Amino acid sequence: MLPLTQDTAARAATGLPEPVRARIEHGAALYEKMPMPDPRGEDWRYVELGMDLDDAALPEAPGAPMPGEGVVAAALGEVAGRALSVDGFTVEASGDGLQALHDAGAAAWEAAGRAGIPADLDRFAAAHHAFGRDGVRVDVPAGTAVGAPYLIEVQAVTPGSLVLPRIVVAAGDGAEAAVVVHYRSPDGVALTAVPHVEVGGGANARVSVTVVQTWGDQTTAISQHHHVAGRDGAVELAETGLGGRFARLHLTVDLDGPGADARVLGLYFGDRQQTLDYRAFVNHNAPNTTSDMFLKGAVGDTARSVFTGLIRIEPAGQKTNAHQTNRNLVLSDGAEAHSVPNLEILANDVRCGHGSAVGPLDAEQRYYLMSRGLDRAAADRLQVKGFFEEVLTRYRHQQLEPPLRQAAMAKYAGIIGGSAT
Amino acid sequence: MSGPALSITGLQAGLGELQILKGVDLEVPFGEVHALMGPNGSGKSTLCHVLMGKPEYHASGSARVGGTDVLGLPVDERARLGLFEAFQYPVEVPGVTLDDLMGEIAQAAGSGDGFGDRMAAAVAELGMDRFLERPVNEGLSGGEKKRSEIFQLMSMAPKVAILDEIDSGLDIDAVREVAAAVEAMRSPALGVLLITHYSRILRYVTPDRVHVMMAGRIVRSGGPELAEELEAKGYDAIAADLGIDLSEPEDDDGADFLAGL
Ligand SMILES: Nc1ncnc2c1ncn2[C@@H]1O[C@H](COP(=O)(O)OP(=O)(O)OP(=O)(O)O)[C@@H](O)[C@H]1O
Ligand SMILES: [Mg+2]
Repeated sequence: MLPLTQDTAARAATGLPEPVRARIEHGAALYEKMPMPDPRGEDWRYVELGMDLDDAALPEAPGAPMPGEGVVAAALGEVAGRALSVDGFTVEASGDGLQALHDAGAAAWEAAGRAGIPADLDRFAAAHHAFGRDGVRVDVPAGTAVGAPYLIEVQAVTPGSLVLPRIVVAAGDGAEAAVVVHYRSPDGVALTAVPHVEVGGGANARVSVTVVQTWGDQTTAISQHHHVAGRDGAVELAETGLGGRFARLHLTVDLDGPGADARVLGLYFGDRQQTLDYRAFVNHNAPNTTSDMFLKGAVGDTARSVFTGLIRIEPAGQKTNAHQTNRNLVLSDGAEAHSVPNLEILANDVRCGHGSAVGPLDAEQRYYLMSRGLDRAAADRLQVKGFFEEVLTRYRHQQLEPPLRQAAMAKYAGIIGGSAT
Repeated sequence: MSGPALSITGLQAGLGELQILKGVDLEVPFGEVHALMGPNGSGKSTLCHVLMGKPEYHASGSARVGGTDVLGLPVDERARLGLFEAFQYPVEVPGVTLDDLMGEIAQAAGSGDGFGDRMAAAVAELGMDRFLERPVNEGLSGGEKKRSEIFQLMSMAPKVAILDEIDSGLDIDAVREVAAAVEAMRSPALGVLLITHYSRILRYVTPDRVHVMMAGRIVRSGGPELAEELEAKGYDAIAADLGIDLSEPEDDDGADFLAGL
């Protein structure tokens, strides 16, 4: 493995097209300069990262893929294309419009429209620019509707590694596509993954991204997303966050064109000592734009979750209709959930709403269910299932519902009997 | 069946400092339907919740369901002993369909209980098909919620059914339908306590006894004619007849009832 130095960045750049080398140099310079995130900064409030990037190293070749078919691949059925990324290297890519970045030309490295994660977002973003050298690109030509979803499996397997996969989805005017991303890594293997997901849609384009995050229990994952919708276009992100030691989703959505729509769905469940950390920024930059964020999470044992959401409506965003809802179940005395929805409204003719809740299971529901003969454990399990059902039933790919429901309920089964309140 | 379905003696209960039930004595034999009437705030729903075991209430005295004292038992155990409460305000359970709930109830009831057959019959009788896939009580009209409670009652076949204002919010036809369902359930294996504000439902269900609760006590009991008397005179007159001051906030002779146990 290679240390995270300027030298390594330069070596990573060799053989890559000129514009990509410039991107790498810029990232490397920033990476060298930037400190690790200040734990007192607003962006890192409520969490303790508990790792230093400088301790990680860059794999020179992909490790062996994890055995067995992933739960997502097994449930998804027919796909339009499929890619497998291991340790940041795209080792498989097939399907119309889908290609690996490393053997594509400079054009493939270009951003999808305005979508892109700036290198100076934080040190993780800088590291991605400096050392990332592969990824997957999905291009959907204007006017094309791709029926089946693309499946991108992202694995990280090598201990101590920094894994930097990049996923770019570029949809032309009127194009429609769905991408499903599954993150996994083995339990017990300490490593860091910083995926970048960049989605740019033209006018009337509709792009949905579904992320299933089942990182191993020693993985630090800092996912950074930017989704941009054009005139009357729609972007959607549905994320299920289950794994990781520390897993962050940093999401920026830009509604750039009039009439653009964003939908963000989330389901997360933290147990043991997990930290699940959501930072969502939805920017209404044009009139008549709409957005709806709906995230529900549970924490048990001594897990911690954070949701900070910011809806920002620019002066141009008249007639915006924006909503964010975040509800959290706190299932153990030692668990913590923070929910901080924010609005920043610079236009005067808008409709905005936000709701946020953090609390234990509802005592009235428990009493009602127990009055029908369900014991306390069965009553509580049913209530938890119902809690997540409101998210699951909104998922686009209904075939993913059963395994995701099962995974969430398995986590619940693991924490009850502990210090459940 | 020997002994009464429900037998309550010297039941006192409250929330924290607030004493609500001040010594309730009441018996519902198997095969009978009793009506419980009383002004708002007199303690009728409290009686239901205390019998069912809602955690925040403290209670003393005794309450026997089919001979077993249920006070102190967990809620689900009381249900399994054969006690059913149809809620005045049925609780919404988001994301859980009525069908999911019925599945869980069936599982809790155990196999060989006949639950499935009764449920199928109740679905047909009450036209519950269209509610099975909807979340429990969520977005249901007042009357639909009551219908769902009756549906669960019919499926569960308890020993004691306490129906807390099962007729409120129902339209005229629905009242008749619910009343008919209650009459149809009348059996030597069931005792029913029907809480109501209106004698309307009592036109279709003939109660064996009518009890009047005021300020946390049963102050009068009688035959079906008592309901008509209440209708004609109102609670104030009954209270005046009995020398009860309904505006009186607290009294302390609850201890006398306790002493009688
Ligand atoms: N959670 C509570 N906190 C405070 N007071 C309560 C609470 N629950 C009940 N009470 C009080 O206890 C008394 C009895 O209430 P209960 O609901 O049993 O009356 P009810 O006879 O069922 O009335 P209604 O006919 O209006 O349904 C009332 O004075 C009520 O305000
Ligand atoms: Mg009441």
